[in-house]
Amino acid sequence: MNGVQVIKSRARQLAALFFLTILLAVVCAGCVVQKKAEGCISCHGNLEHASKSHSGCVDCHGGNSSSRDKDGAHTTLHSKANPSSPDSWEKSCGKCHRYQLERVKSTLMQTNEGMIRNIQLTWEGMDDHSYNSTGGKFFDAAGKPVEYDSVEHLDNLSGELYRKFCSRCHVGSSNSESYGAAHASGCAACHFPWNDTATYEGSDKTMKGRGGHSANHSMTPLPETQVCARCHNRSGRIALSYQGLYDGNNGLVPTSQGEAGPLMTSGARNLTRISPDVHFAAGMECIDCHTSRDVMGDGFAYRNMYQQTEISCEDCHGSSSVVPRFREVTRENDEALRESKSYKQPVTSGMRMIQTAKGRSYSNVFFKDGAVWLQGKKSGKLHRSKVITGTAEHTIAGHGRLECYACHSHTSVQCYGCHTRYDRGKPGMDFIKGEETAGAFSETEDYRMLFPFPLALNQRGRISPVTPGCQTFVTVAEADGSTSKTEYVAKFKGKQQLRFAPFYSHNSTKKAITCAECHGNPAFLGFGQHIVEGSSIKGTLICERSDSKPLDGFLTMEHGRVNAFSAITRENSRPLSGTEVKRTLSVNLCLPCHDKARDPIYRKGINLRALDDTLHRRLLSAP
Amino acid sequence: MRWMILFIVGFCLLPEPDAMAAHTGLVCSSCHRQGGGYSDPASRLNRAGGCAVCHQGHERIFDHAMGQRSGEEQFVQRSYARFDSGFWEKNCNSCHLKGCLDCHGEKGLAKPTVAACQRCHTGYFTGWDYSGRAPREDNMRYQRGIAVNGETFLKMLPDVHYSAGMTCGACHSMKSLAEGQKSSKGCRDCHKPSQKPLEHRIAAHMERLECYACHSAWAPQEYGTFYLRFRDQRMKEDFDLTPTSSAEYLRSAYLKKQDAPPLGINAAGRISPIRPMFIAYYTDIMTARNNGPENTLLAAEWRAYFPHTIRRGSVTCEGCHDNPTRFLLEPESRRIYNLKKDGLGLESFWSQKEQRVSNGSFMDAARYLRMSSKSPAYTKAYVEKWKTFLNHVENSSRP
Repeated sequence: MNGVQVIKSRARQLAALFFLTILLAVVCAGCVVQKKAEGCISCHGNLEHASKSHSGCVDCHGGNSSSRDKDGAHTTLHSKANPSSPDSWEKSCGKCHRYQLERVKSTLMQTNEGMIRNIQLTWEGMDDHSYNSTGGKFFDAAGKPVEYDSVEHLDNLSGELYRKFCSRCHVGSSNSESYGAAHASGCAACHFPWNDTATYEGSDKTMKGRGGHSANHSMTPLPETQVCARCHNRSGRIALSYQGLYDGNNGLVPTSQGEAGPLMTSGARNLTRISPDVHFAAGMECIDCHTSRDVMGDGFAYRNMYQQTEISCEDCHGSSSVVPRFREVTRENDEALRESKSYKQPVTSGMRMIQTAKGRSYSNVFFKDGAVWLQGKKSGKLHRSKVITGTAEHTIAGHGRLECYACHSHTSVQCYGCHTRYDRGKPGMDFIKGEETAGAFSETEDYRMLFPFPLALNQRGRISPVTPGCQTFVTVAEADGSTSKTEYVAKFKGKQQLRFAPFYSHNSTKKAITCAECHGNPAFLGFGQHIVEGSSIKGTLICERSDSKPLDGFLTMEHGRVNAFSAITRENSRPLSGTEVKRTLSVNLCLPCHDKARDPIYRKGINLRALDDTLHRRLLSAP
Repeated sequence: MRWMILFIVGFCLLPEPDAMAAHTGLVCSSCHRQGGGYSDPASRLNRAGGCAVCHQGHERIFDHAMGQRSGEEQFVQRSYARFDSGFWEKNCNSCHLKGCLDCHGEKGLAKPTVAACQRCHTGYFTGWDYSGRAPREDNMRYQRGIAVNGETFLKMLPDVHYSAGMTCGACHSMKSLAEGQKSSKGCRDCHKPSQKPLEHRIAAHMERLECYACHSAWAPQEYGTFYLRFRDQRMKEDFDLTPTSSAEYLRSAYLKKQDAPPLGINAAGRISPIRPMFIAYYTDIMTARNNGPENTLLAAEWRAYFPHTIRRGSVTCEGCHDNPTRFLLEPESRRIYNLKKDGLGLESFWSQKEQRVSNGSFMDAARYLRMSSKSPAYTKAYVEKWKTFLNHVENSSRP
């Protein structure tokens, strides 16, 4: 073969290859899911792929990729930039992720049913309807069909409060305005990365610097702590406490490069550093404990978050008498197998997965070599969980009713005195109706603290930290400027009273509070900061509306009589009774000598008569 | 005891001879003796030339703390004045005696009421607490509720003497102030400690503690006092803090508390409440925005002092004996605020390290260890204390 022939032959080969490619492309066009995106790329050339499995544009976004002009291409877009928002999630994410979407539709983060109902209960806003953020048909915790009205129709002050104040933190609505708290609506609220200023900073030049968008277009299958913190930084502030951040006194100091600091978040609140949760310090993120069913729901519409949450400390650490339970992965459709697909080490068949309190498998906690291990879902880091079952500290008679975090909370954030003003004359944005209507809310506050924190019985009949929930004093200014309500305390459970709510602060510590600290300080029982005068306990920080009731507590003791003047919210919850207060304080009679948890006297109920036996009489009469 | 209190209270409430009436019989020139700089007979400028004719020696009040404020001025000299020599004039000039009428001119010529004293003894300064008032946080979010002289406060349990109607003057006579004394009466001038409370039967308590170490029900405490300097007033807009009288400065705090105060040793060698005065930080906003220093720690000083929040009750035993934090000996495992991470220089506000008491000292760790060891005597007293208390607590099923 001479040179010319070689070239001809190559040309023929190349031509054949070219036609083959075209043919392949034409044949395959029918079976490839992705539509071409050339049109989109002409403007959004460098936009990041959402993920390897989400590489096209039109499948998720809709629109017309063959149009050459912007308007033509965008007219049929699903919900402008965010196809995952509730008005179009059926057409976008829901097409493939039906199982997840159906769950998210009834998760509390979307329905906000608990928030709405609790506002109704505490703002005298109950009527004979059940409300949630959207209204519609759902299945309750027992699986029975139940119909909700949209909160749009809750036509009283509690509805106004939810729509104008609380509804910003709701998976259904986006927020581009709040520094540090900006998020998308719908699936993207958690699965796309947003920065503090809601500004796109990726490589797409068309989008660069635009507000109201995620920081880039790379999907995050496993949301990091920061994502949760965009909403969970108010009210209980669990995402702040978890990371060791505190928006406490709001002094705006220390400054940071001459600006208010040291860190800032929404509502012009500054964040100072406190000691973080022991799990955060170990490198764990929110989703390392919280399962997808905790956050995205399990398909049932629960009334409160404590009913939707399926995990508990005991799952990994054991209870006083029961060790963590596990179940082996045997079926190929096991949830843990599917859920762990994007972890560093996916779950494999035969692994013994630890069970949640509701008896479902964790996808990242397993039993191996006689120990409980947790895999960081994003980091892949393995954490060995300490099992406390049977240890002396955890088998103290009488402590059976304690939640783990009654002793293991380092701090518990408490906001005292929430003074809410509603001005009918001022316009306020209704984030559910999407329009400004008459009436605006504003808030001032009395006092914030972290430690000590009061304890009371929670909905499980267990002793748990409680935090104001809420101490709301309502002032309503009418359109003409007159006030129709002044510092009003709403009726709750039939009488005007303030309220505390059972609460896990998410600022847990390995070293529990000491026996003497808790039993010797009546502030833990709900007396607030106080002095002891004879057989009375007097609060020192007093509620403005009373002469003697502590602002930072819910119990008083006058001449030995214990009286509760605030309610603990949730069913079956209550402050400790006089008998229980007495029993708790009686332990002080033993503590100076019996100060170790492993002391035999704490294995059974304390017998106070022992103080009168010969041995004790001799010891206590010593000079 | 009850009769004694009533008697003392009654005595303090005896109607004053009308001070105005005492002066109505006088000719004008008795007080207004000269013109010019002497036209104001009560002015400090002429050492109250008019008043002092009769009230001899009272003008010496101008030579002491309220007139001179040398303690405060020296503090500023060793702290903020290092960065701003005009700090004192800019921030501290509202409270100093200009004449007798500052206190006596409220309603004609009269003995000062508690409210008159509280015009200066306000906020963090002792006297405001006497009526059950603690400073609120500085952010406008916390500025709410009743205000007196434009200053809001948290409602606290008032001093028992205030509740009984006693004025400041009952313990702080004019004579004592003119002589440069802090007070005319100490606790024990009126009170003989009863032997009934168990705590009073413990010799160490009676020898080593000030009465008010236990009987101060609470005390305002300011942890981290910040002065922010704004050379450009417009920059103040970014800081939603309570406005101050100073055009150039805003004031804020890292944290305010008002529970039982920490304890230390005072100048008399007795255990006394102490509080930060001040853990002082300074930021020049303009400098800081140009990458200069900020949050400069200028002083970490505490003062032994007498909170005016006296109550019959006190904390329980472990409030001191099992509470190292109260002596600034906070165990690391109990640390909450992470100051180092926020660049505040100190390890903890409740660590003695790099801090000092300007008029006393901290309790040393060895002494605290001795105090907190459970000796047989301690155990016995502790059990007795709780037993007595618990005997009165009613069993009830009421929550």
